[in-house]
Amino acid sequence: MTLMVLALIIFGLSYLFIITEWINKMLAALIGGFAIILTGIVAQDVAFSAIDWNVIFFLIGMMFVISVLRQTGLFMYLAIKIAKIAKGKPLSIMILMYLLTTVVSAFLGSVTTVMILVPIGLLIASELKITPVPFIITMAIGSNAGGAATMIGDPPNILIGSATDYSFIDFIVNLTPPVLVITAASVGLIWLMYKNKMKVSNEDKAKLMSYSEANLIKDKRLLYVSLIILGLMLAAFSVQHLLHLGTATIAMTAGLVLMLLSDRKRVEHILANDIDWVTIFFFMGLFMIVKSLEETGFIGKIADGIMAATKGDPRRTSMAVLWLSGIFSSIVDNVPFVAAMIPVLEQMEKVITTPKAMDPIWWSLALGTCLGGNGTLIGASANIVAVGIATRSGYRISFKEFTKIGFIFMIMAIAISAGYVLLRYY
Amino acid sequence: MLLASLLNPKTILHLPKAESKEKLYRDMVDLICRKHQMPICGDELYEMVMERETQMPTAYRTGIAIPHIRVEGFKDTVLSMAFLEEPLDYNGTPIAWVCLVFSDKSSSNLYLNLVAALLKISKDEDMMKALHEAHGGAQTVHIIKKEEIRIKQDITISDIMITDVVTIKPDDLLSQLSETLGKRSHSCLPVVDESGKFLGEASILNLLKVGVPEYLMMLDNLSFLRAYEPLEKLFEMEDKLTVGEIMDKDCITLRPDASIPEAVFEMIQRGKRFFSVVDSDGKLAGVVTAMDVMMQIFMGVIK
Repeated sequence: MTLMVLALIIFGLSYLFIITEWINKMLAALIGGFAIILTGIVAQDVAFSAIDWNVIFFLIGMMFVISVLRQTGLFMYLAIKIAKIAKGKPLSIMILMYLLTTVVSAFLGSVTTVMILVPIGLLIASELKITPVPFIITMAIGSNAGGAATMIGDPPNILIGSATDYSFIDFIVNLTPPVLVITAASVGLIWLMYKNKMKVSNEDKAKLMSYSEANLIKDKRLLYVSLIILGLMLAAFSVQHLLHLGTATIAMTAGLVLMLLSDRKRVEHILANDIDWVTIFFFMGLFMIVKSLEETGFIGKIADGIMAATKGDPRRTSMAVLWLSGIFSSIVDNVPFVAAMIPVLEQMEKVITTPKAMDPIWWSLALGTCLGGNGTLIGASANIVAVGIATRSGYRISFKEFTKIGFIFMIMAIAISAGYVLLRYY
Repeated sequence: MLLASLLNPKTILHLPKAESKEKLYRDMVDLICRKHQMPICGDELYEMVMERETQMPTAYRTGIAIPHIRVEGFKDTVLSMAFLEEPLDYNGTPIAWVCLVFSDKSSSNLYLNLVAALLKISKDEDMMKALHEAHGGAQTVHIIKKEEIRIKQDITISDIMITDVVTIKPDDLLSQLSETLGKRSHSCLPVVDESGKFLGEASILNLLKVGVPEYLMMLDNLSFLRAYEPLEKLFEMEDKLTVGEIMDKDCITLRPDASIPEAVFEMIQRGKRFFSVVDSDGKLAGVVTAMDVMMQIFMGVIK
């Protein structure tokens, strides 16, 4: 019992520091992770065994793939192509950029997508002499929705995919349909919110049309090679259960092949600059902290509590999980939240033993956490990154300004998800 | 090491006037060859002196000329001095004191310190007067010995830095910055306050960056963009922004007592060619550029 209290204190303090970012979040997670070993709550080997290497190597593998894909200039090319297809009309650009962000996020992850596309959104808005703020907010929202659609899109899904037996295809079959509906609804909402709000001169539109986006694709060979590898990787994910290969192995294979095809200097650059070691070690620390809660029985108590509140009814449980994760993920970073929720659901699996009964609960967790991230500015890493880029470029977006829009999209998305879960599974 | 210990009274000349640079050098080479064991002598050594003279000016504003010849296989440093009552013209600089130095191919440190010591004397008017009025080499050596002029063992940044620095104030407008940079064809200026306290550096890049918003820097490349309005509007901001708003505040600086290797290390490590030299009170002491250091090491030139 004392150990559980101690574990809770370490967990609470670590999460407090992670959420408030009073100290670097990687540092907070690692300090928490090793504090549980230092205090004797969990032995070192047990804490280390809690690290989900499938997640860690999946992240590293994807970072390799993305760093090479980025060099091809493909995503910038697409973004500028879109602006031209839209003929420089701001609302059309905003909607198309929203869709592009959603689709790219589903495959590259929300944070990376935002890092690549938001600067272009800012450039386009500045050329059109309109405020970039709506572009940035809608792109962040799109990235979180897109990330929810696949196993590899958003960190919560990566964690869930790794902890459960669900395949890449299971994620698409179960999560892409609601995301499609949410995307359609969001486009409608954007149209309602921003139609007739942005006036642009023909002269400024012409500036966009003069971009020579073809210059961005400098190395056609690299583009083809990386697209083929990306395609093979996605194909391998889809038939993962036939190949009997872990997600990490597939991602690392794709990443390593692309690294091998690059020259040595570029590899060194990628290892030093493009691999986000902060995220990697942040995840490791989180796994260790959560393990202490599991070992001391706290996770079991939470699971029991939820089961008692919902009387063990899967339908009510999934609704509770969906809305709770939605609200929680709005307020706190969704990664640590999911990391703590996964063992809770694993505990429930021991009670709800009916085949398939757990599925909607897991999908509710995935939808709730990914889409909940839109609720406030600090709900998802992608929001923080997008707003950070804008701030450094001289466009301050306040917590209130983001939340005013994000919250509407979040409530709409969670409501659609709730309807979907109820209709499809019950 | 005392400067006097490098001198031989027999190689010191006091002349009312020199017929020509050539004649003077020939006489000095003869004196050196008579008093020292040189691996090369006569016409060959004289030719080397003349060749050096054409490569790089040897005259300093203080009225001293220090031609320096590195002699292959000569494991020593020797010099001959000539004091002229009527100065010789070195491309417009009147020179009344010529010090001809011969040294080893590689020993640049001793030579540089020797030059520093000679320059220091040349700036001291009283001492120069005494040296010119000296009767013969022995008395000259005696004066130098009495003053205990030492050759420093190590040369520092303070020996090669430029002390007569063009600076800019933090509340100056960008238009003043661009004008000063352009007029002086400098690429970077130290920013100091009224009391001379070092505040930062303002470079051409800081200036250009005013027209480049952060999001542009975050793009992977800009090859699709042919023209960009904010960049062209940079000059509109020139009279709105001040130097203090765009300067680099936490730039790496050098201390005046930093060594030459340390300066070279920092320049290569930081990829920076311009360094402000700041003393322990935070005041700007001078600036030093990669070019100054290179001239120093390869050509042995001290400003």
